[in-house]
Order: sequence, then C-alpha cells, then structure tokens
Amino acid sequence: MTAFLALGLLFQTVSPDAAEHAKAALAAKQRGDIKQAIIEFRKVTELAPDLAAGYINLGAALLEHHQYADAIAPLKKALSLNHSLAAAEQMLGYALLSAGYTNEALPHLEKNGDAGALGIAQVKLGRFPEAIRNLNAALEKHPNDPELLYYLGRASGLLSKQAFDVLESSFPNSAEAHQSLAENYVALRKLPEAEREYQAAVKARPDLPGLHLAMGEMYLEVPDLAKAESEFRAETQLEPGDAESSYRLGDVLLREGKIKEAAAELTRADALRPDMPETLYALAKAQSLTGDAAGAEKNWKRVIELEAHSDLAAQSHFSLAGLYRKQGKQAEAAREMSEYESLKHGPPSVQ
Amino acid sequence: MGGGVAMLDYNNDGLLDLFFVNGGHIGGTKFDSEFDRDDPKYWNRLYRQNRDGSFTDVTAEAGLRHAGNGNYGMGVAVADYDNDGYPDLYVTSFGHNVLYHNNGNGTFTDVTAKAGVEAGGWSASAGFFDFDNDGKLDLFVTRYMQWSLATSKPCARQTYCPPGEFPAVTNILYRNRGDGTFEDVSLKSGIASKKGRSLGVAFSDYDGDGFADIFVANDGMEQFLWHNNGNGTFSERALDAGVALSDDGNPFAGMGVDFRDYDNDGRPDIIVTNLAKQTYALYHNDGNGRFSYRSLESGLGALTAGSSGWGVGLVDFDNDGWKDLFVAQGHVMDNVEQIDASLHYREQPLLALNHGGRFVKADSGESAALAGRGAAFGDLNNNGLMDVVIGVLNDKPVILKNRNANGAHWLGIRLQGVRSNRDGLGSIVIVNGQRQDAQTAGSYQSANDKRIHFGLGDKSSADIEIRWPSGVTQRLKNIAAGQYLDVKEAAQ
Repeated sequence: MTAFLALGLLFQTVSPDAAEHAKAALAAKQRGDIKQAIIEFRKVTELAPDLAAGYINLGAALLEHHQYADAIAPLKKALSLNHSLAAAEQMLGYALLSAGYTNEALPHLEKNGDAGALGIAQVKLGRFPEAIRNLNAALEKHPNDPELLYYLGRASGLLSKQAFDVLESSFPNSAEAHQSLAENYVALRKLPEAEREYQAAVKARPDLPGLHLAMGEMYLEVPDLAKAESEFRAETQLEPGDAESSYRLGDVLLREGKIKEAAAELTRADALRPDMPETLYALAKAQSLTGDAAGAEKNWKRVIELEAHSDLAAQSHFSLAGLYRKQGKQAEAAREMSEYESLKHGPPSVQ
Repeated sequence: MGGGVAMLDYNNDGLLDLFFVNGGHIGGTKFDSEFDRDDPKYWNRLYRQNRDGSFTDVTAEAGLRHAGNGNYGMGVAVADYDNDGYPDLYVTSFGHNVLYHNNGNGTFTDVTAKAGVEAGGWSASAGFFDFDNDGKLDLFVTRYMQWSLATSKPCARQTYCPPGEFPAVTNILYRNRGDGTFEDVSLKSGIASKKGRSLGVAFSDYDGDGFADIFVANDGMEQFLWHNNGNGTFSERALDAGVALSDDGNPFAGMGVDFRDYDNDGRPDIIVTNLAKQTYALYHNDGNGRFSYRSLESGLGALTAGSSGWGVGLVDFDNDGWKDLFVAQGHVMDNVEQIDASLHYREQPLLALNHGGRFVKADSGESAALAGRGAAFGDLNNNGLMDVVIGVLNDKPVILKNRNANGAHWLGIRLQGVRSNRDGLGSIVIVNGQRQDAQTAGSYQSANDKRIHFGLGDKSSADIEIRWPSGVTQRLKNIAAGQYLDVKEAAQ
C-alpha cells in the first residue's frame, strides 16, 4: 500500500544537508528501521519544505508504521504542492479511511481506482449496493484476500438486513414479512415463534414458492419428521420441478423409514438435478435398504467421485464397506474402511 | 448421570422389591465437594414390596444405610454371585463401588474389600454374567472417563463439557473365583486393551458359539462389542460387526443398551439410546457375526430423532409375542432449553409397540415430562404383565404398572442353575419360537427382574427349550400359559 519515491534525482536539487537525511532515511527504510526513516524524512521536509517527494515519503513511512492519523497532514501537504501525485492521492485515501475519516477519504479513493478500498469505505458509509459491486471487482483481482471477503460478506448481510427491515416495516402483513420474521426466529432457535410466523405467511399466501420448504426445514430442526414431510410434500406439489424440495422430501421419508417412497422421490430429485451429492448419498442409502445393492454401490461411488474429501465422501466409504461386507467382499470392505478412516482421522501415523 | 434402579426379590417372598441408587451431597462450591452420604436423603434405598402392592423402606434394617462418603452413586447390578439362592447387590459410584452380600435374613453385608471389587474412578453400569461358563457369575463394570473435581472444567454456555474433553478409561472385568473373591482379569482378558467413555452394558451370545459376549455403550465415540473367544479372552469387533457407529459412520452418545431379539429371528439384536438428533441405534443381528443398522426401517428415526434416551428395554408389554420398546428419556443438560428450545431436559418416557419389527408409538401412561435415567423392567404384581420403574433425577421415581387388558397369554420362567450359575444367567430360552436371554443387566445403570417373560398371544400353551451356559439343553412340551414356571437345570 505504501510506496517510497526514489529521491535520488532530487538529491541534486536540494541542499546537501537535506540530501544526506534523504539518503539516511532510505537506508533506514532498507534495513527495516521505519522509526528512524520517519525521523530522517521529517528532517528532509524541514530542510526542503517545498519538496513534495519529502512529504510523500514521510506519509508513506507513517502509514507503514500504522500511524494513519499522523500520515494525513504530510500527504495533504504533498498534494497541495503537486496536485498530480497519484501516489499521494491513493495514500491519503488509505490514511483517511484507516483513521476513520471515511467521508473525506471517499473522493481520494474514487480518484485512484482501488476498488477494494473504495468498497470498504462504501460499506462503512452504508452504500451497500455500490460496495458489493466494487468489492466483487476487487475480488476478481485478489480472490483470496480475507479483508475483501469479510467486507463483501458484511455488505451483503447488511444489504439483506436493510431489505428485510424495509419489507417488515412497509408490508408487515405480507407473507414475505412473516416469512422473514420466521427465518429470524429459526436462527435464534425460537421455533414456536417461527412456526407461528410461518403459519401466518402460509395463511397470507399459501402458494408462495419456498415457504413450505423453509417450514419443512424448521420442522426438521424440532425434529418433527411427520410435519416436515407434509411441508416438503406441499412444496413439491407447488414446485414439481424443484430438485431441492424433492431431495428434502425423499430424505425425510428415508428418516421416517418409508424406504420405497424415499427411493422413488430421491430418484426423481436426481433426475431433476443430476449429481447433487446429498441426493446421491441418500438415494444410495434408500437403494441399499430396498435391496438394490448395485444401485447403492453406483451412487455412493459417484458421491466419492464428486467430492473426494468431504464428510459425505467419508460416509460413502463407510457405507460401501458395510455393503461389501454383506456381500462377503472382505478386501473391498477393508479398502473402503481404510479410506473412511483416512478421511475421518487423517492418514495413519508412520510412528 | 446417575439414577440406577433394580428390581429384585431380595427376601425370596415372591414379590419384587426395589432398590434405588442415590447421588451424594454436592457442596456449596461444586469443586470441593466430598459427596457426603450421611444425611438420609443421600442414602441408597431398598423398598420391600408388601402383599398389598405397597412398599416399605427397609434400607436401614437391611444394613444398606452406609453408602460410603465420597461415593457419588450411579448404578446397580443384581445377581446371586455366590449361588446361595439370594440376590446380591453391586452398587457403582464415582468413588468406590460396593458389593453387598445378601445374608438371606433380610440384611446385607458390605463385602467389597474381601471380594476385591471396589474398582475406583468413575464407574457407571455393571452387570453379572458368566463369561467362562464355570457356573460362577463374573462381574463387568463400565467406567465413564478420567475425571475428578480437581481437574473438572467449565465449557462455554454449557452445563457440562462434552466427554471428549476428558481422557477415556478402561472398563473392568472381574472373574469370580468362587470363594467370595474376584480376580481383576481386565488385562489378561483383553478388556483393558481399549479405553472408552462407557455407560451402558448388556450381555448376549450374539454369534451362538456358547459364550456370552459384551456390548458396551460409549459416549461420543465408537461403541464396543467384545466377542468372547471362549478361552478367557475377548476381542473388540464392533467396527467389523457393524455396531460401532451410526449408518453414516458417525459416533454418537451411547448411553443405555439392550441386547435382545426384537424381530423373533432367533438372534439377539442391539438397541443403544443416545442424544437428541442422533436417533437411537437399532442393530439387527444378520448372523455370521454381522449386524445391520435398522433404525430407519424400524421406525425409530421418526420416534426418537428428537429425544435423549437412557434406560431402555425390549420387553413384550402387550404379550403379543413381540418385544416392545420402552425408553426413559430427558436431555443430559439441565439448561438445554436455553441453548436450543427444541431440546428438553425433561421428556415423557417412550413406549413403542412392536408391530412385526416396526415400532409404533403408544401411550406409556406417564404424561409428565421427567428427567428419566435408569429404568428397570419386571412383573411387580405377578400378573404376567411387565411393569417399569424409572429413576428420575432430583425427583421421585416413577412406577408404571402395566394395565394391558387384551387378554393375551403369557408365560414366566424362573431358572435355577445347577451346573450353571444358580440364576441361570446367560441361558437362552426359546418359547414358541421366541428367544429370550436370561440376564439382569442392560438398560442404563439398572438391573431387571431375573425372571424370563414371554408374551404368547393367543397361544394357551408353550413349548420351551432352555440352553444353559453349562451346555445342557432342556426341552419342555405343552406347558400351560399364565404361570411362573420354575425350571431347575437338568443333570444332562
């Protein structure tokens, strides 16, 4: 973020004293002694008060030393001496943002084109849609930057909250407002309150897509499998093409021990959205319980192909081991157990 | 964690009596408590059943008032370990366990020191069985974890830390020498080769090789199935047998266990109770030493996914010839509702009737929610209907009298071993094709009526086959229903 401008050329234009301090400052910087660099750069600005580069370097050193508020004055001075210094503009934006002067930072950040810093400032100012756009752009260049990821998550969450707040205050009796409240209650583990809100939502709009799916998921938390089944069934009737609700219905049927029905529904879910690992795993379990060992083996193997290192893959290895044991295939069972153990507990120790 | 209950006829008057294990005084600052047991409210309690079905507290006159300071009570095992015809008591504790010998005159004597079975640490369940078929009952003790007041620690937002926060420990196997003393054979039998966080225990010969095997319910880790090798040693085979984990390969909080044939195929199955959102694990014995996870097909997924279970029994409550399911329930944490409103510290017990291998919820008769722990099963009023007694934390116990009125026939059998142990524990009894294993252990920290009960449905008589641990097989034909039949082991 900070940049030290080469002062070499400037040595010729300043007094020998100022040049000496500039050299000392650069040497201190080079050996990592930022404190000393700051002292030396400050002397350069005292001995050459009209030299913009002196102020920029002082500001940069202060930023590097995390003295953001202290960096603001020298960077402003640099810009007053030379309006075209892009580096000073950029660093001033960072310094102001880091010191909490977000409003003042914004025009400087807008000028220098750093989408990430601009996005962060916009999050702080509550300008979430613009922030999300800028942070996404920044993440395309730096996909693994934790700071950018954090602020993108925060901006998305706050934007979402803002929308729900508007929904609940402007349309308090709408199905969507009740659904939003219900989801908050679910997150707080207040399930009776959530159930009340969901029921109000259903009353307002019984055909609202996703509502019965969410209710079913809430009943799974209770857990009340019969009610969950009923809601998932309602959702699949409303949205027969939705793979998620079909999978949920199949999975709850399986948990209830309605194995044949579960196998049929999970087969339907798999057709609607092929290669969804959760569906394949549950379908394989249902197939195994209905005696379709070949189908179960195929689907558990497919889960492992799709996600080799996940919990679901470990569970699939475990299930395959059980299947092979029943078939008397001891070597295959041992191999699958070994894979399961390796995923669950890591590879065996060499000690 | 305590709450053990026993049903036993300690004075051989033909009526089942009740024994309850109590905890101990916990001091003002939890962590310097000495678990004082002097105050009568911390005594274990023995209640003698009177002819009119009421009970009289006979703790003091039976010599059971001294539970021992420092022994925070957990569970109880019952059997006639010295073959003198009177049931003895073994009480487990955090601290030291106590063996009470039944003197045959209404009193008990603490013989722990002589017998050498005090164990130590944190014991949970215990059970008597004859692992070497020598006619003398041996003793298995589960231990929970390596924990002490000094090393205890709090965990954020929770009353208790999960068991994984504390080191696992070994269980103990004591071999009965037959002279009133026991030998700790945990090491040489192989039992000490694996450490667990063990709670429930039950015995059955799952592979039909003539030797009793051991299932141990472990909390938050793999379960143990100790196969009896028939030569004084055991091999742990839970993973290979398919009973170590859930069907998804996940460990669960194993607490109570029963080891009986629920689907009348002649092979003992295993049910393990655990915490809410885990589903009680039902393992069907497929033969050849293998089991299949059957919680889903049996209906337990829907019945138990939201419950936490402890004491458990596969018992034929309606005498239709199919063993039903009873579970004492309640979450382990007394503040669980604050953490997750969908979970409950107090729950109603579960009664589920067995309809050809699928369990369907029924009315247990107890409408109140309880912090149920131990549960013992037996016929309190000798009417051929199995009753239940539940140990409840910080509350009175609950007795559930069976009011079934479907008129189905039944048969009870009292075994008397001669070459085998006198209680006949470990015998396999087949009546009209149904199998029962003679054992008092199982459930959670509790001991059941030693008599063997069969529901006969509409059959008014029964053919009986008894496979004694000695190897003797005895057959009785056309025995009338509606009675408790005494069967003494035949000479050959």
